[in-house]
Amino acid sequence: MTDLTQTTPSPALRWWNLSAVLGRVGLHLVIFLGILAAWEAAGRFGLFNDYLVPRPSRIATAIGRLYVTQGAIYWHFFVTLFEAVAGFLVAAAVGIGLAVASALNESFRRYVAPYAIVLNVTPALALTPIVIAWFGFGWSSKIALGAIIAFFPIFVNTLTGLMETDADRHEMFRSLGAKNRQLFWKLRLPAALPMIFAGLKIGMTSALVGVIVAEFTQATEGVGVLMNRYSFQLDMASAIATLLSMSLMGLLLFTLMEILDDRIVFWRRDARMAAVGKARARRALSWRTKPAAARKD
Amino acid sequence: MNSIAIDRSSAAARPVPARPRVVGGVSAGETVIEARGVTKTFGDGSVVALEGASFEAKKGEFISLVGPSGCGKSTLLRIISGLIPKTGGSLSVHGREVTEPRSDIGMMFQKATLLEWRTAIENVLLPTELQRRVTADDKRRAAELLHMVGLKDFEFAFPRQLSGGMQQRVALARLLQTGADILLLDEPFGALDEFTRERLNVELMRVVAEVGGTTFFVTHNIQEAIFLADRVMVMTPRPGRLAKIVDVPFERPRDLSIQQSPEFNALVSEVRDVLGGH
Ligand SMILES: Nc1ncnc2c1ncn2[C@@H]1O[C@H](COP(=O)(O)OP(=O)(O)OP(=O)(O)O)[C@@H](O)[C@H]1O
Ligand SMILES: [Mg+2]
Repeated sequence: MTDLTQTTPSPALRWWNLSAVLGRVGLHLVIFLGILAAWEAAGRFGLFNDYLVPRPSRIATAIGRLYVTQGAIYWHFFVTLFEAVAGFLVAAAVGIGLAVASALNESFRRYVAPYAIVLNVTPALALTPIVIAWFGFGWSSKIALGAIIAFFPIFVNTLTGLMETDADRHEMFRSLGAKNRQLFWKLRLPAALPMIFAGLKIGMTSALVGVIVAEFTQATEGVGVLMNRYSFQLDMASAIATLLSMSLMGLLLFTLMEILDDRIVFWRRDARMAAVGKARARRALSWRTKPAAARKD
Repeated sequence: MNSIAIDRSSAAARPVPARPRVVGGVSAGETVIEARGVTKTFGDGSVVALEGASFEAKKGEFISLVGPSGCGKSTLLRIISGLIPKTGGSLSVHGREVTEPRSDIGMMFQKATLLEWRTAIENVLLPTELQRRVTADDKRRAAELLHMVGLKDFEFAFPRQLSGGMQQRVALARLLQTGADILLLDEPFGALDEFTRERLNVELMRVVAEVGGTTFFVTHNIQEAIFLADRVMVMTPRPGRLAKIVDVPFERPRDLSIQQSPEFNALVSEVRDVLGGH
């Protein structure tokens, strides 16, 4: 679709800006290391209870134990990641599906939307014991809770986006004799994509929260289980190391969504839009300069 | 960006009507639109947006609609385009009563209404895409139309990369891509600054003459209405009514300088008198 090798570097990365960028990164680093050093010193001099608020070096040791010497985290990390992604995908499929159906059919909207609203005002995490009773202690209950929590933002954003199509463009399509199917695929859906992605991004992080809470409640695998175990043992250094792993997972999933958003809803970002325009121009040019006989369409 | 020779012969292959013979500013072509007592009421019939409008339009004619806000200009255009049904009278285009949007009638709005996820040329191709599979000829025709409206180097620009005036040029190219020979323009440049508007008006005259379309052009501006048109339909409000049709006898193509002539000013006064009575 697009060619990344030929895009011009963003201004921030040109050589004359490099020193400025390094300077800014350097300042962040100095501040961050300063905080760590102060914390470390406070811990060593006994200002904190070192068991409840472990100092950075002990957290680092715990991270080393989790990731290197014992390697205990990997399987749990994978399980939680898988559950969160699976829950998200279920929520995305059901949420977008129901939103499209509601957008296209007024009576469907009238009879389905109230349930979605009831689901929204119910504190979804309160469903955890019920969901575990229904789906058991294994992965499926985690996936189910992640999906339930991720569903609402995806459904509402998609429906709002699809209902928001502006009247002028709608009329323009009508004056061109567009059929309903074309109106949906060529106008309503693409126009709603920015909203849909906003919903998907919230849904992704919500799914992770749902999965981890379900793991806290009742599970045998996953980072939530590790977290429970370490806190219970008052091994706060390992608990915080696990927490940092959860942040890492959240960051990973969110970045993935950002990349997708950036590529699919390219027209909202100037740099991406310029790159896509160039790529399309290049493609059309190569197509046009081919001899007429070689053309396919 | 690129310099591809545009294949002029592909345009000739399309059913674009030939430019009519113009005599003294009034077309001598066949009648393509016939309206008899076209009426439109809204709601329970209490809001009369348009009352008994009767007129004809000949092939290749340029007709301006001028009148104060709320006199039913947009309503009349939307009825001609088939977007809304009339509540009374009859209206036929090419001898067929208008009941729904048709491919021989095209409409352009005050807003450019471009799709921001499509490049300029993809926007121009939309009307074709909604009718059938897009061919290489269609693409060449779209490129040619963008060239014609002065956007040769902007085929692959996205709407957000274009100024308001350029966006309206894309919308004009899209209108021409429909292949419609009845062109309805509802204040197409109304949102633009005066300089851009004046330039686009002149280009619009050239472009519609080139494709030989019969044009209805809505505006609030009396000078603009007269300068562009073969005939000016003057409308008055409450209820919306077609008060007078004024012939504009200047040869085409016209130069902006005719606006200084006494004949032109006499026409302006004539239109203003009709509107002033309300
Ligand atoms: N959908 C509608 N429902 C009710 N009344 C309407 C509707 N559309 C238009 N009208 C009324 O019809 C009359 C004519 O409206 P129209 O939009 O045709 O005016 P116009 O001449 O285009 O005005 P402007 O120059 O401001 O665009 C107005 O009084 C308006 O209030
Ligand atoms: Mg109007």
